[in-house]
Amino acid sequence: MPRFQKLHTGEVLSNRELAEGHYLMSIALPAAFAAAAPGQFVMVRVKDRAFPFLGRPLGVYVQEKGGGESRIEILYRVAGRGTGVFALLKKGDRVEILGPLGQGFRPVRGRDRIVLIAGGIGIAPLAPLVRRLHAKLPARATLDVYYGARRADLLLGLGGIRKACSAIRIATDNGSKGFRGPVTDLFAGDLEQYPPERTVIYACGPHAMLKKISELLARHPIPCQVSVEERMACGVGACLGCVIEAKDTGKPYKRVCKEGPVFDLNEIVWR
Amino acid sequence: MSRIKPRMEVSIGKLKLQNPVMTASGTFGYGEEYAPYVDLNRLGAVIVKGISLEPRAGNPPPRIMETEGGMLNAIGLENVGVSAFIREKLPFLRNYNVPVIVNIFGESQDEYKRVAEIMGKTKGVHALEVNISCPNVEKGGLVFGCDPDMCYEMTRAIKAVTDLPVIVKLTPNVTDIAALAVCCEAGGADAVSLINTLKGMSVDIEKRVPHLNRVTGGLSGPVVKPVALRMVWEVVKKVSIPVIGIGGIMTAEDALAFLIVGARAVQVGTANFLNPRATMDILEGVEAYLIRHGMRDVNELIGSLKESVE
Repeated sequence: MPRFQKLHTGEVLSNRELAEGHYLMSIALPAAFAAAAPGQFVMVRVKDRAFPFLGRPLGVYVQEKGGGESRIEILYRVAGRGTGVFALLKKGDRVEILGPLGQGFRPVRGRDRIVLIAGGIGIAPLAPLVRRLHAKLPARATLDVYYGARRADLLLGLGGIRKACSAIRIATDNGSKGFRGPVTDLFAGDLEQYPPERTVIYACGPHAMLKKISELLARHPIPCQVSVEERMACGVGACLGCVIEAKDTGKPYKRVCKEGPVFDLNEIVWR
Repeated sequence: MSRIKPRMEVSIGKLKLQNPVMTASGTFGYGEEYAPYVDLNRLGAVIVKGISLEPRAGNPPPRIMETEGGMLNAIGLENVGVSAFIREKLPFLRNYNVPVIVNIFGESQDEYKRVAEIMGKTKGVHALEVNISCPNVEKGGLVFGCDPDMCYEMTRAIKAVTDLPVIVKLTPNVTDIAALAVCCEAGGADAVSLINTLKGMSVDIEKRVPHLNRVTGGLSGPVVKPVALRMVWEVVKKVSIPVIGIGGIMTAEDALAFLIVGARAVQVGTANFLNPRATMDILEGVEAYLIRHGMRDVNELIGSLKESVE
């Protein structure tokens, strides 16, 4: 008799607002909840509530296992009514968690210049990747993080990754910290110091940021993996609701939930 | 109170189902997507994503939008096409003992016939569900499903090219769904299934644009259940072939209502997205209900609605 994966019921341990509209929710789950690779996501619903109707795909920010229990943390931004309901959850409330789902970031061998580019809440899937990469970082390799946000107070999770990075370069839209302007402009200024044959980039952020990276790398072809977002219904590849336009594969669309959410930058048509 | 496990078998034409709980087309992929979560062998049948003669890319995103109590979709029948389905998808389902019902779609009557003919000669296909009710494509679909003569013609044409049981899936986007069901029965349909999605729309008021790239989409989920239930009730009174109930079935209670009204079987759709095990929860809930009410056979329940509230 094969064992089947389940929809897990989790209990909210805490749900704190870290900055305006940005929350960190900690959830206790059964030990059977599998380990999430950096970049994988879970579908989250509030148990026994009619709204939000569909689960919301959210990245696993922190995961700990032990003592017959699994605990995850989800860093999320209130983007609409659904995540607005999540923001109201309190300790003891119950949530339904499906996952971990999708393809996370894939380590690239033989690269010693590792660059991560985060825009806003895009830090959420990249922070666990920083920790993972740091643990296996080859000697003399560098791990540089470029992190942009609208304002200084919306830069989250820096404490958790600082020690793991060779450098953290900050950009804010209003100049309240670091470079004033888009993080991609900041990165563009440094681009020449990253030799394409030695470098790999991992990125997550708004569509416009990822599109800009694709333009920059058109002239400086560094391999790059990006994590993208789409509205989802099933999270498991069945409904075909979350597709993204794909390049050169014979199939015009790929499923963000199944083939993604992490794609090679060059797999995607950037409009 | 009887504790004997009730008989759950139902028949759709010559097709025998071990129980009346199936998966709705388009909500369960080709079975493989949900196999890690559900023992497919326990389902009444798996109804796969609609298949056309050639592969279809589907509509540009965004394709879905949540609504109050449901969702809109405009997938546009993205599918791998008949050949790839037989080559790449069907072998996986042949590993199971579950009946496979292939939902078929075309842009012309001839295309429907060709898909039906190929499927009829394919090992591991147990019945066809003819989709003449998709609201999300330019050609075919609804064009056939809204016209009584075309329903009749289409059913006849498909019955003429295959020996497989033929289920015709009906649209709710009509004034009199029972009249269409009658035409399908006259054309030789072994069963009708209803409802497909209700055509709807959603608008982003900040950007003043539709939420869906195709503007309109098909509404599904618990919000459509009362409409679906009413339509099944209307249709069972007008036809003698089995009626399969679809529309917002999230729980065993929902499925029971359809069975009581007269549905021979049910399809679970959008519920799979929220809970991959929804079909199993529904099946177990229906069995528990029968035991609780001392019924030995699910067929005792089907069509047992008392029309007076007294």
